[in-house]
Amino acid sequence: MAVYKRGYQRYEGPRTGTWDRLMVLPRFSWGQLMSQRLVIAVLIGAAFWPLLCGIFIYIANHIELLAGFGQGFQKFLAVDGSFFKTFMIVQSTFAIGLAAMTGPGLIAPDLTNNALPLYFSRPMSRWEYVLARMIVLAGMLSAITWIPGLLIFGMQVGMAGGDWFSKYWNLGLAVFLGFAMLVILASLVALASSAWVKWRVVAGALVLGFFFVLAGAAQMMNSIFRDSAGSLLNPLYLLGRLWAAMMGIDSPDESEPGLWACASALIGFCALMIVVLERKLRPVEVVK
Amino acid sequence: MVPVLELDNLRVQLGRREILKGLSCRLGVSEGGGRAIGLLGPNGAGKSTLIQTMLGFHAPLSGTAKLFGFDCHRQPKEVRARLGYMPENDSFIANMTAVAFLRMMGELSGMPRGAALEKAHETLFHVGLGEARYRQLGTYSLGMKQMAKLAQAIIHGPELVILDEPTNGLDPAARLRMLTLIHEIKATHKMNVLLCSHLLHDVEETCDEVLILKDGRIVHHANLEEERRSNRRFVELELGGVTTGFAAALGTLGAAGVDEGEGRWRVVLPADIEIGALWRLAAERHLQVRKLTYRRDTLEEIFLKAVGHIRATPGDATKPPPLPVSPEEVTHGRL
Repeated sequence: MAVYKRGYQRYEGPRTGTWDRLMVLPRFSWGQLMSQRLVIAVLIGAAFWPLLCGIFIYIANHIELLAGFGQGFQKFLAVDGSFFKTFMIVQSTFAIGLAAMTGPGLIAPDLTNNALPLYFSRPMSRWEYVLARMIVLAGMLSAITWIPGLLIFGMQVGMAGGDWFSKYWNLGLAVFLGFAMLVILASLVALASSAWVKWRVVAGALVLGFFFVLAGAAQMMNSIFRDSAGSLLNPLYLLGRLWAAMMGIDSPDESEPGLWACASALIGFCALMIVVLERKLRPVEVVK
Repeated sequence: MVPVLELDNLRVQLGRREILKGLSCRLGVSEGGGRAIGLLGPNGAGKSTLIQTMLGFHAPLSGTAKLFGFDCHRQPKEVRARLGYMPENDSFIANMTAVAFLRMMGELSGMPRGAALEKAHETLFHVGLGEARYRQLGTYSLGMKQMAKLAQAIIHGPELVILDEPTNGLDPAARLRMLTLIHEIKATHKMNVLLCSHLLHDVEETCDEVLILKDGRIVHHANLEEERRSNRRFVELELGGVTTGFAAALGTLGAAGVDEGEGRWRVVLPADIEIGALWRLAAERHLQVRKLTYRRDTLEEIFLKAVGHIRATPGDATKPPPLPVSPEEVTHGRL
């Protein structure tokens, strides 16, 4: 029967569970994001570097192709911690750009359109809402970070064999955990910026500012105070140090902050973003 | 029997201000659903805060608010799974079509994907947005947005629909349509309705009981069904002549009256007294009856009495807060 002839009947059928309800927002958001050409372009652009790395690994593992080259060049082709760290740095730039582009569109429109009461009057808590929005970003960022990272690691293991794996197994773990840190931090920063300023363009700029302007500010502090404690304000430095430590290639100066300080600073940034979300994501604004 | 809404000494504080000051009541006690409760009160009375507390948006300072027996603060998911909410302000997602918006809201309420899509179409046709269902919500007029908000509140067939000022900004035809829909929600689909409105006529037309708040306190709870059923007769009289002692004479009949000045009286007759007794009383006292009309106590009157804007009619079942009374007024037969 045609829907306009059927008339409204009260729904009394089965209800879905918590997980299904939680995934509703990500499904709709992914659908909307994937309809944007710019997002697709960034996702495609972010696939080039892993492709190049894959070619690099192929060449590095086919030594017969390199017979004419010198020893120095063959050393350059070594697939080790430095190779994976370089891979991660390049991909993290794409990830931050993607987070700045897509993150602000997740919460800001809900705040602008006063849609939060609609969400929170349904069986969904504020933290489930944040989690759902984080899943959107985590899904997008995973596609260009740890998933290609692990594919490349797997490709190297497949080509280099068990000896290489037994020596460098920690690189796979470092790629996954390192990118997970980035994804969590970038998602939280993007969501907090979106909740804080409501205006998408400014929120996007804030995300980029958090990662790149803070890095400059930290460098300036170090220069002024002739110290390296300012590096604790540089999220990229913090991530880089932790990645390097997990890969076993961390070689800091004595004056540089310790690993625990770096980890604590990173946790502090995440906590700050959670506080912003907690303060801003309320179904009603209470005028005290 | 579990009431729709049960408040037990509910106190809510926002910032330093106590908004709800010890509310206690049981509303919507009936079998089979389909009760409509009106929530009235002047601006700042605490209506919106009460609704938001029911939705779990505010934590009570003390006391409890229960919907269908579930604590709104401690069991928010159980509560929210049973209700639909139509907020007063614009609440939508501008860049979504109405169908996609309703489907998402249905799925968020726990409907499976297929059922949500089907109900989205059904509900949009039901509220009169069938032809505009593929348009983006941002392009809707105010009246259409109101209907879309109503649609998202009922798509999942909740047990209670909370409507906050549903007829705001609607033209007369759209307002009538909205009231008809609310009536259908209650009578045909057996959903309970909590209607918060400043328009007393809307509440009177749709609600079975009414809760009136003032300054964060309940000042009146009326069962409009019973009011409608009551056989008390309210009479408005306009008399010519000297009416001194007329109030006392009414008392001998068991009736009670209020002198509203310039010969106008409001009288409540007991059930067993015929209207002829009033004519006889006037004749005995040589009073000219210039006008006599029967009148029911309207919700507007109940409301104004409850919030203290007009005096109470003696013998009225409603018990407004005591007003300051001077001895002079008592002498004149006024309360």
